[in-house]
Amino acid sequence: MPLLRLSAGLTLWAIGFCAIYAVHGLGCALGWPNETVGPFELHRASMIALWACFTLAGIWLALVLGRYRGSAMDRASMLLAWAGAGTTLVSGLPIVLVPACL
Amino acid sequence: MNAIGRHRGLARIWAGEPGLRGVFSAVSHTDIGKRFIIASAIFFAIAGVLAMLIRAQLATSHSAFVGPEAYAQIFTMHGSIMMFLFAIPMLEGVAIYLLPKLLGSRDLAFPRLTALGWWCYLFGGSIMVGSLLVGLAPNAGWFLYPPLSGPEYTPGVNSDVWLLGVTFVEISAMCAAIEIVVTILKFRAKGMRLDRMPIYAWYILATAGMMIFGFPPLILGSILLEIERAFGWPFFDPELGGSPLLWQHLFWLFGHPEVYIIFLPAAGAISTIIPVMARTKLIGYGAIVASVMALAFLSFGLWVHHMFTTGIPHMALGFFSAASVLVAIPTSIQIFAWLGTLWAGRPKLELPMLYLLGFFFVFILGGLTGVMLAIVPFNQQAHDTAFVTAHLHYVLAGGFVFPMLAAAYYWMPHVTGRLRVMRIGEAAFWLIFIGFNITFFGMHLTGLLGMPRRVYTYPAEAGWDWLNLVSSIGGFLQAFGFALFALDIALQAWLGRPARRNPWGAGTLEWTMMTPPPAYNFASLPEVECREPLGARGTLAADLARGEGLLAAPRNGWRETLAVDIASGKPDHVAILPGPSLLPVAAAASFGGFFAMMLLSLYWIAPLFLVAVTVVIWLWASTNGSREPVGPLEIGDGTTVPSHYEAQGTVGYWGSVFALCASGTLFGSLIFGFAYLWTVAPHWPPQTGLDAPLFETGLIVAGALAAAIFVRLALPRTGNGEGRLYLAIAGMGLTLLVLASLPVLRLPAPTDHAFGAVSTTLVAYGLFHAMVATLILAFMMVRKRQGFVAHGRPQEMRVATLWVDYAAGTAIVVALVLVLAAWGV
Repeated sequence: MPLLRLSAGLTLWAIGFCAIYAVHGLGCALGWPNETVGPFELHRASMIALWACFTLAGIWLALVLGRYRGSAMDRASMLLAWAGAGTTLVSGLPIVLVPACL
Repeated sequence: MNAIGRHRGLARIWAGEPGLRGVFSAVSHTDIGKRFIIASAIFFAIAGVLAMLIRAQLATSHSAFVGPEAYAQIFTMHGSIMMFLFAIPMLEGVAIYLLPKLLGSRDLAFPRLTALGWWCYLFGGSIMVGSLLVGLAPNAGWFLYPPLSGPEYTPGVNSDVWLLGVTFVEISAMCAAIEIVVTILKFRAKGMRLDRMPIYAWYILATAGMMIFGFPPLILGSILLEIERAFGWPFFDPELGGSPLLWQHLFWLFGHPEVYIIFLPAAGAISTIIPVMARTKLIGYGAIVASVMALAFLSFGLWVHHMFTTGIPHMALGFFSAASVLVAIPTSIQIFAWLGTLWAGRPKLELPMLYLLGFFFVFILGGLTGVMLAIVPFNQQAHDTAFVTAHLHYVLAGGFVFPMLAAAYYWMPHVTGRLRVMRIGEAAFWLIFIGFNITFFGMHLTGLLGMPRRVYTYPAEAGWDWLNLVSSIGGFLQAFGFALFALDIALQAWLGRPARRNPWGAGTLEWTMMTPPPAYNFASLPEVECREPLGARGTLAADLARGEGLLAAPRNGWRETLAVDIASGKPDHVAILPGPSLLPVAAAASFGGFFAMMLLSLYWIAPLFLVAVTVVIWLWASTNGSREPVGPLEIGDGTTVPSHYEAQGTVGYWGSVFALCASGTLFGSLIFGFAYLWTVAPHWPPQTGLDAPLFETGLIVAGALAAAIFVRLALPRTGNGEGRLYLAIAGMGLTLLVLASLPVLRLPAPTDHAFGAVSTTLVAYGLFHAMVATLILAFMMVRKRQGFVAHGRPQEMRVATLWVDYAAGTAIVVALVLVLAAWGV
């Protein structure tokens, strides 16, 4: 269990990172930037949704792991969960800053 | 039993075989670790000589020293040897030698697997280096990009040598990675909770985990490129639906984590040595563990920064640029923790510390240029110039070579039991340090002036002469330094005065044993209550020698060591390890025969060697187990635990789990490749379609589920379960046959389009695992009849269940992917 807790935050980041990268690649290949959902561009909206979900899930995980305060491993697990959430937030920033398929 | 009697009894049990047979049958981690270290040092020297040839060629413009073909082989082999035959095996060798000693164990979890890894490394490395002597060495750069490395532009065997040689060596790396992870998780001293592990073990645990998940993409890429070259399946040919960028993705999925795979073990040595040199405790143990884990994960999110100039959309570049910058944070945490430790302690400038100061200077500069290269616009300017070569040498030599030189001086008294003879090491340091900086600092400048990498000559008008000449002079200065280092180490090994035990005053367990260490490591196994047990209890070495630890009395001629609960470190069972064996060298020779036949294009003979591998592995597995109940074993503290024959969660089970994790990563990479080609490569969808194999999918699912269910029912809880095993074999056999029929009856030809090539490869993967599972089930049948699998001894069946489940799962996934692909086409 301690090893799983240690790995949880960054595993979540890794899954989110892969998911966003996959949706980015698929969207560019399938022409999603030209399609809209209501007022939103489908491609960017789907990536923003994923980005927000994984960032919030990372924050939730960090808060949950913050309840365990017994050992150095518990503190490291919480630190890594926050690192995972922060990394998800920062590495996803290009979604709102850069053109998708140029 | 007194200490002398205990020593004699244990030495007899743990001794290797005498003479030449002993050379081939050795399984002791101490012996194998030293072999890895010495062989990788020899490969380093060979690669160093190649580097000198490179610098001789580039010292002046229009040099006629070597021609372009020889130069291409030289720089390709310099990089390939340094990466695959020096850095990784060196870190493995040090870990193999040290880990059991640091963890309080008598050996690694799978001694024969360690030996197999050694022989695969030796044979694979020899093939690669041997190709240099006959002028057929790889010549397409150490990352072997197609189409340059493909059949059209490299029609000879040069690229095959790389692909087959590196894959052979990777078998060794995978063996070591699985070995190391399982050893750290299970073979520790009593009381050594995860948070009491020596910090080096954390680094190596992360490294080995990264190897398990990082190497399979490269192995897959190598297999695909070799198949393309040998049989014309167009995975990387854009004319037929392939893409050379798929190779780059697969290569760098391995290649970037590789940088950290090389750095982290060296950082583990730094974190071990610095507190000893500073005469204090390591500051920020928990933060360092967190940063090591962060590096292990984040390093997998950076691979595209090696591909910034390939035309990937800007947003994707942004994702990887951001992750590349973020990875500097956990690295910095470690550096600040080391500086803090030095600040808090009373550092002494012993020789290992001198080399660590060199590390700080060189590695930090390499890290700073790494942050520069993580920024897309700068990367695009500096890409493929000598600036990148300079950066990677600052990172890898700074992050690995300097710490390893420090580690060599730190642990040499342990390995040899001797002290240094003269102060040659200081002179060696200054030559290496000054020479290194003269060589590579200059290369930053030549790169910024526009000099590309890998060019065999340049025009005088370019104005790069004086910088190149200075770099070459620096390179030869370094070479003198390394020669002095080798001399110093040799003198210490042969002529040094005997060292007292624990000459540095360290607190970790490896210094509690005699030096050089006996084959059994510990006369009795320690019980620990803190991270530095020797520091906390000065008499620990003598106490263990007196037999005041666990498993002190030799029993039945068994090679016993303690296995513990992963998290708590509480005794779990006694593992009885195998002794010397010729099976590892036989298995490696069989693998070698396979690779040699592939290299010689004797494709019809090659499978015979795989049959030989299967026979050896069958014999190997047959030597495990016990026909009779062993019962609880007294471990020496008044408690009893079962033997590994009768325990749950043994190392065999965990070894299988991690082996399947590696295989699953390869499978996932293959599916990624399929999706990548489908969405990115030209000429998709293919002209030749595929009818959805729904009927076959139904049969595959039915057979796979039957195998998974009946193998469970055959677990030795009730009855002998032979009939159920037959049904499991029938189910897996059905899956196997249907999978085998698909390329013949359904799939498009693999040579016509990448679609056929990838789908056939997917089926081949499923088929391979179905064959392995069927063989395992047949083996279980034999073992049941022989009495090795019985009520109370279920371990072998549990391991078999894992493999059958995996084969069943992958067969179903393969079938479903093909159905989806058929609908997509």
